[in-house]
Amino acid sequence: MLLTSMIFIPLVGAIIVLLVPRDREDAAKWIAFLVTLIPLFLAVLLYFQYDPTSVEIQEVVETSWIKAFNIRYHTGVDGLSVTLILLTALLGPICVGASWKIEKGIKVYLSLFLLLETGMIGFFCALDLFLFYVFFELTLLPMYFLIGVWGGPRREYAAIKFFLYTLFGSVLMLIAMIAVYLNSSVDPGLRTFDIPTLISLAQTSGHALADPTFQIWAFLGFFIGFAVKVPIFPFHTWLPDAHVEAPTAISVVLAAILLKMGTYGLVRINFAMLPAGMDFFTNGLGRWGNALAILGVVNIIYGSLCALAQTDFKKLVAYSSIGHMGFVILGLAARNEAGVTGAILQMLNHGVISAMLFLLVGVVYDRAHHRDINGFGGLGAKMPIYTGITTLAFMASLGLPGLSGFVGEALSLLGAYSKFQLLTILSTIGIVVGAAYFLWTLQRVFLGDLNPKYEAIEEINMREIATLIPLGVLTIVLGIWPHFAIEMFRNSVVGLPLQ
Amino acid sequence: MIVTFIFIILICPLASFTFFAISSLMGRKSSRQDLISTFAMLIAFACAFLLFMQVLGNPSIYKVAGASTHTTDWIQIDNVSLPMGFLFDSVTSIMLLVVTIVSSLVHIFSIGYMHGDPRYPRFFAYLSLFSFSMLFLIVADNLLGIYIGWELVGLCSYLLIGFWFEKDSAANACKKAFLTTRVGDVGMFIGMMMLFTKFHTFTLFGENGIFELVNNLESSDLTWLSIAGILIFCGAIGKSAQFPLHTWLPDAMEGPTPVSALIHAATMVAAGVYLAARMFPILTDVSSLFIAYVGGITAIFAATIAIVRWDIKRVLAYSTVSQLGYMMLAIGAGSYVAGLFHLTTHAFFKALLFLGSGSVIHALHVHHNDHDDGHHDDEHSDQPVERDGIPPEQDMRNMGGLRHKMPVTFWTMLIATLSISGVPFFFSGFWSKDEVLGATLERAMESGSAHYYILFFMALVAAGVTALYMFRLIFLTFTGQPRDQGMYEHAHESPKSMIIPLIILAVLSFPIVNKWSVKKYIEQPGQVHNHLAPEHANQFVLYAAAGSADHHDSTSHTAHKGHSPAHNIAMGLSIFVAGLGILLSALFYHWKTFSAETIANKFRGVHRILWNKYFIDEFYDGIIVRATIIGAKIFGGIDKYLVDGLVNLVAIIVNYIVAFLVGLFDNKVVDFLVNSVAGVTWKFGGRVRRVQTGVIQNYLFVILTGVILLIIIFRLLV
Repeated sequence: MLLTSMIFIPLVGAIIVLLVPRDREDAAKWIAFLVTLIPLFLAVLLYFQYDPTSVEIQEVVETSWIKAFNIRYHTGVDGLSVTLILLTALLGPICVGASWKIEKGIKVYLSLFLLLETGMIGFFCALDLFLFYVFFELTLLPMYFLIGVWGGPRREYAAIKFFLYTLFGSVLMLIAMIAVYLNSSVDPGLRTFDIPTLISLAQTSGHALADPTFQIWAFLGFFIGFAVKVPIFPFHTWLPDAHVEAPTAISVVLAAILLKMGTYGLVRINFAMLPAGMDFFTNGLGRWGNALAILGVVNIIYGSLCALAQTDFKKLVAYSSIGHMGFVILGLAARNEAGVTGAILQMLNHGVISAMLFLLVGVVYDRAHHRDINGFGGLGAKMPIYTGITTLAFMASLGLPGLSGFVGEALSLLGAYSKFQLLTILSTIGIVVGAAYFLWTLQRVFLGDLNPKYEAIEEINMREIATLIPLGVLTIVLGIWPHFAIEMFRNSVVGLPLQ
Repeated sequence: MIVTFIFIILICPLASFTFFAISSLMGRKSSRQDLISTFAMLIAFACAFLLFMQVLGNPSIYKVAGASTHTTDWIQIDNVSLPMGFLFDSVTSIMLLVVTIVSSLVHIFSIGYMHGDPRYPRFFAYLSLFSFSMLFLIVADNLLGIYIGWELVGLCSYLLIGFWFEKDSAANACKKAFLTTRVGDVGMFIGMMMLFTKFHTFTLFGENGIFELVNNLESSDLTWLSIAGILIFCGAIGKSAQFPLHTWLPDAMEGPTPVSALIHAATMVAAGVYLAARMFPILTDVSSLFIAYVGGITAIFAATIAIVRWDIKRVLAYSTVSQLGYMMLAIGAGSYVAGLFHLTTHAFFKALLFLGSGSVIHALHVHHNDHDDGHHDDEHSDQPVERDGIPPEQDMRNMGGLRHKMPVTFWTMLIATLSISGVPFFFSGFWSKDEVLGATLERAMESGSAHYYILFFMALVAAGVTALYMFRLIFLTFTGQPRDQGMYEHAHESPKSMIIPLIILAVLSFPIVNKWSVKKYIEQPGQVHNHLAPEHANQFVLYAAAGSADHHDSTSHTAHKGHSPAHNIAMGLSIFVAGLGILLSALFYHWKTFSAETIANKFRGVHRILWNKYFIDEFYDGIIVRATIIGAKIFGGIDKYLVDGLVNLVAIIVNYIVAFLVGLFDNKVVDFLVNSVAGVTWKFGGRVRRVQTGVIQNYLFVILTGVILLIIIFRLLV
């Protein structure tokens, strides 16, 4: 019940927001804000209700949906889902808060945003492959319009690029999904989309699903689908464009949640359901060794070097996301406790930190109306609080110990190092370059002489601080005591086919 | 009880910083932050002192390293466990005492020095955060904890170097400091990963600690262990500004002078030495030699650069680099005690030198309060101009004769100078430097290795050079005739809050305090190669004897063998070179028997190399930094034009194919498709419709339609 209401309350909210009379658009904002508080409240409830010591999937709701194909409405959560649901629910009110200044079609905007929230929460709960896919696609549509209508000057290009890329991925994913379905006969004639059932079938030797060749192909299909979302090189070029054009709050959701949908899918489907495929891509490729790890390292190095070359503040943060998601891939590729725990922690931490970063870029963009890093200078003197929070976010992102970014990265690396030394050592280049681009940005924007253009620039206001504080506190708390998060999903990690 | 005290020591400075952070977030100015921070630090000092008394009471307990207390699981997954705990032994207690003393004194000094700065409260908050991080680093019982503290002090160093961030030089310096040390830290982290993969723990002492498990290694693992040791030491190379990652420390002098004293002289930069000392048990012969060479090269290399500097703070900065090299050399030569002993004595006399130079700068600075508005030519037409990028009040070419104006500063600095130069018997620096030299020579004589003889020689020359440049500083600053009358007139002795810390530190530069504490209560742990390689089995005892040889305290070394001939030789030579250095310095800069300029002109090439710091900065900026940025631009270009270009190309090609296929159909079919499948889009009204205008977009949408069609077909198939 908890999950169902969490999924559909935003949807109801989306309709209510649309019904607000045109002359009361302020009310729409408050309604949307209150609506997003409900899933947050429920998520906190879920956090306390969820028993992390149990390996069982909890809060299960299961009914028949499309009988002809044995498609069921099956939702439930494990620790990994709870973690990401909490993150999604937390970002709901924050993003509404960050959208306060939007004037154009605010009602439609908010209702699309609420629809997006339904898709995201639903995705993290879905336990039926078909339902999983439906929610996956459900996020696509609102996102397309949110970028395409409320975005920057090149919004059309960015939106369509985002749409086509994701669609390309999801077509492959769909094919893989159908192939899995066709091979999933439990009894003769009875096939299933049920993820837990599929997971156990895939590990039953002799079953069609357990066939390594089949798994390799299915793995590839799902993998590309998720790789576009993560994004993994070379499927990443939609990301910088989408981020640059999207409005602040949408960038936040994009970086914090949508990218996690990719890695979540990798864990749920590729890792758990297709172990033989995972085997192949982590050590079955002869001299290529661990292909997945190579992709992770490429992401890390490529993403950070590209970030170093950017002069657009938002693009820089976007490329840094690519680099940081590389650590998730690296940790997953290690397939051991430290690596996978690190990867999941990194998912959560990147969600929190990148959300902060995009919110912060939005703050300065709202004042200066541009994002050229070289066009600022000396803002530290005029905006000390803003500078302080930005420094915190940058430091967290570059992996300063004591803040959350470090723990995920360090665990990923520790796990990875025990499996593939050379690649892990290579990936540490990203740590140095990561520090370089953030510090260089810090210098160009905040240090040095004040750019006279910004003599009168306004300090960050209370509303903006309020959107940042929960994330900043989380960054510090999880950095000091990562147990809060690890305890949640420890059993999900142990339950995976580790090596 | 120990745990409670450690908690108090950590919480006091942290609370002080937190108070500042929260009040700033709420938009309030924490106007009494100076008192809050200072008070917090004094409480921490009191606790550290009580802890130290604990050690004094039970030397037999705390001498033995490895009393881990209060361990808790920081990260715990089934087979991976990363516990955090406190480590308390004599080394910890001495380090705590050194840090809290220097930090408290720097806090007090800053009340006067930073007075009137627009960001006065923030300065103290940063000092608190730094103190917390440094203290955490010291009490952590495992490598990960040390690493956390290690990076946090790096952050504080960054924030404090860039405290006056309006100056471009400061903004550059803080970035450089952070990045350079990070290069070393990455090496350290790789070393940590190596150890963790082998031993599944970061904990140092105890039954399942690294130092215990390392004994189970085979002799064939020695190479591996050497590499791990060297990699971990990379962290120390960065943090302690050892060659070749030393370039950030002189630039770090852009920070306020109290910061230079606390972070960049006494404590943070010594953390590298502390780390090397903590990792002492796993150092093999190879990694020891590596450390010794890094230390030895740094010691002499930095000392030579210091001779030609005009900026009073830079002289001290290079001096710090050089002295840190000494400490590393000691540890590399196998004398843990000598390294830590020199760390302690150096912390006090170098903090004193920096605070003294701060006092001089404070006296000469016309408008200390406003750093924003650059130079003040309008008021003082005779105000000296900046030469070679050195602020006039730090330029020793503008000083001279200041001892008449600032007697306390002069006398206290003179004591510190005598100490660092190794003037015998009455000054602590003599004893600790002698330990280092003695240990190196002893190692050389025992192993018969030419390496350690070379290192001894390098250290000896560096000792002479140290005396030379330090007395040059004293002569140029305090004696002779004032070279800038205007500044001289203006100069004045500093206020009490600044002078008192100087006097206290001067007292601490006398040997009684240090010798009484450090030498007696630190016991050298064994090293791994002793267990692994039987032929070295007796070395441990010998090093221990070298380390704890003590002239005045006969009880401490009765158990060991007596004072070795190596030490006597080393002591004799070190007195000789120190005397020579001072004499040369006096001939050049006091009696002016010889002219330094003539010499500089004669050996113009050498002078040029020294003046340009061996061109290492040029190499880094011109080659490494530039190559990285060019590399990044290439990657950025590839991404923008090649990868994304390919994507767009694919889109265009598919676009044409689909357009061609679609063209085969009747217009009505197309209309139907577009309107029905993409109809959702259309309903969003005119604004949205514009998304699909333009030829390319139209085609793209056709592709989209095709794909959706494909999905429908698939669905029907299933």
